[in-house]
Amino acid sequence: MANYGMALDYKNCINCKACEVACKEENGVLLGADSHRIWVGANDVKGEWPNLDIANASFMPSQCQHCENAPCQEVCPTQATFYDENGIVQVDVDKCILCSYCMVACPYDARYVDDRTMTVDKCTFCSDTRLVRGEITTACQNTCPTKVRTFGDLDDPESEISILLMTREHFSLKAHLGTKPKLFYLT
Amino acid sequence: MFNKILPHRKITIKALFEFDKTPFNIFMGFLTFILVMAFVVGVGNYLIHGHHAYGVTREHPWGLMIAMYVFFVVSSTGLCIISALGHVFKFKSFEFIGKRAIFGAIITIISGFAVIAFEIGHPVRMAIYNTISPGVTSAIWGMGVLYSIYLGLITLEFIFLSRNDHKWSTMFGLGGLVIGIAAHSNLGAVFGFLIGRPMTNGVFYPIYFILSAMITGCYLILLMYGYKYKMKFNKELTKFLVHIARLLGLLLGILIFFEFWRFLTAIYGNVPERADTALHVLASPNFLFGELLLGMLIPFFIILFTKAKAIKYLIYASFGGMIGIFFMRYDLVHDTLVYPMQMMKITEYQLAPTLIHYSPTWTEWAISLGAIGITLSFYYIGENFFFLDPIEHDEYFEDYQEIK
Repeated sequence: MANYGMALDYKNCINCKACEVACKEENGVLLGADSHRIWVGANDVKGEWPNLDIANASFMPSQCQHCENAPCQEVCPTQATFYDENGIVQVDVDKCILCSYCMVACPYDARYVDDRTMTVDKCTFCSDTRLVRGEITTACQNTCPTKVRTFGDLDDPESEISILLMTREHFSLKAHLGTKPKLFYLT
Repeated sequence: MFNKILPHRKITIKALFEFDKTPFNIFMGFLTFILVMAFVVGVGNYLIHGHHAYGVTREHPWGLMIAMYVFFVVSSTGLCIISALGHVFKFKSFEFIGKRAIFGAIITIISGFAVIAFEIGHPVRMAIYNTISPGVTSAIWGMGVLYSIYLGLITLEFIFLSRNDHKWSTMFGLGGLVIGIAAHSNLGAVFGFLIGRPMTNGVFYPIYFILSAMITGCYLILLMYGYKYKMKFNKELTKFLVHIARLLGLLLGILIFFEFWRFLTAIYGNVPERADTALHVLASPNFLFGELLLGMLIPFFIILFTKAKAIKYLIYASFGGMIGIFFMRYDLVHDTLVYPMQMMKITEYQLAPTLIHYSPTWTEWAISLGAIGITLSFYYIGENFFFLDPIEHDEYFEDYQEIK
């Protein structure tokens, strides 16, 4: 039993998209722009040469926030979306009826339709591929060349992520909605 | 035996085709046939291609068919409420519409279910897991359960009305009304509960849905009677239609008032996302010409300037009103989803995200509009098969004599 979360040192991100590739490879996510569990958001450089606003160019890696108070779980009519024993928000494909309410309710656009099962799919923190093998890492974290991501147990005060969150300032996306995300962006 | 349970006429299928061959009747028959065929072809394409036949996307997962489902269930609840004015609340002049309105409520909700059955990815699984694994915090679950009970209650109400059993029909009518309002406000809550969508989130939709349902009910009653009496109304019927028109005028006035404050609060202070969405909606032709002009202003001003007496004009405006109601439902879905949940670009060479575009495919149009054909054909069959007008044993038959 753990309470998994992820810290992202997002300013280190170079938008190489290795995490997106690793996620697709590890979890068998279908090809296609809409089929993605994780993504890197990018802001372009603004302005015209030579007055370029390079500070505007930033990269923001993201995925399902595994909210403690997840709107997607609350709105699911069949309890197909549930919290597993490690606090990870999961989808039970046998119960999902594809009403798409969770996709509408998610404030982070973290869900998509898997064309093979015709059910909603999302990031699982690699729980059925890596965690199940006893590897406490995610594919996106493992492949990142600039070590943007740190994955671990938030309830363990000795874990790397807990120490990071105690020593570095951080914020969460759309925290004002009260969803209590478990993705933390380090500043 | 069946006639004892639910009184009906003994007619043959052949007799259904023996109607007065007036140009308008032929047009309506042809239109119904085309719409039903469109539904069948649309469903056929969906069965071949699945959800890929629809124009919905990751960012815009709901589309025209959800809007059309809402359109039908709004119509059903509206007809149920208006019919309850007569045989539940005992407003004398509304009593004789009871059976026709309740029959309309039954067939519109069935049409709605026909649309949603092909929008939900796994409808059979839905029936199973809604029961054995209920997500009670979900507004969709609440809506589904309540609408199922509602359909049962209004069906029983119709049966007891047809049997002239006013004790039980009033009981089931009251039950259907209460459950119908609960179900319908739950449908509003499906949108109102979306915490990530500031334009939609809040108390407005659960309340507004009941109001717009009553307006839809009035439009449909006007259309039904306009069609049935070929726009030739005697004194008594005119009196009833003027009552409906006055009620409609009041409801439209309240709706315009609601919408004014809704948009002013959304824009005031220029709160990001909410104000952007509201300004986008206000400038869209769907809202201006569909919702505002056809759905509200034209019928409202006809009622206002003619003191609710220009019934014929109002019936034509009710047709436009239903088109306006369609736009209200379409915009409800589209405006909820129009603002993207993430504003950074996530694939190379794309432009930064702006408001989300959605365009229904022909399959969505075929199923959605085709379902109107289901309503029309059920209505025609019901008109011939059941006694939708008061019959001799009904207690209000004497009042109705003059109308007839």
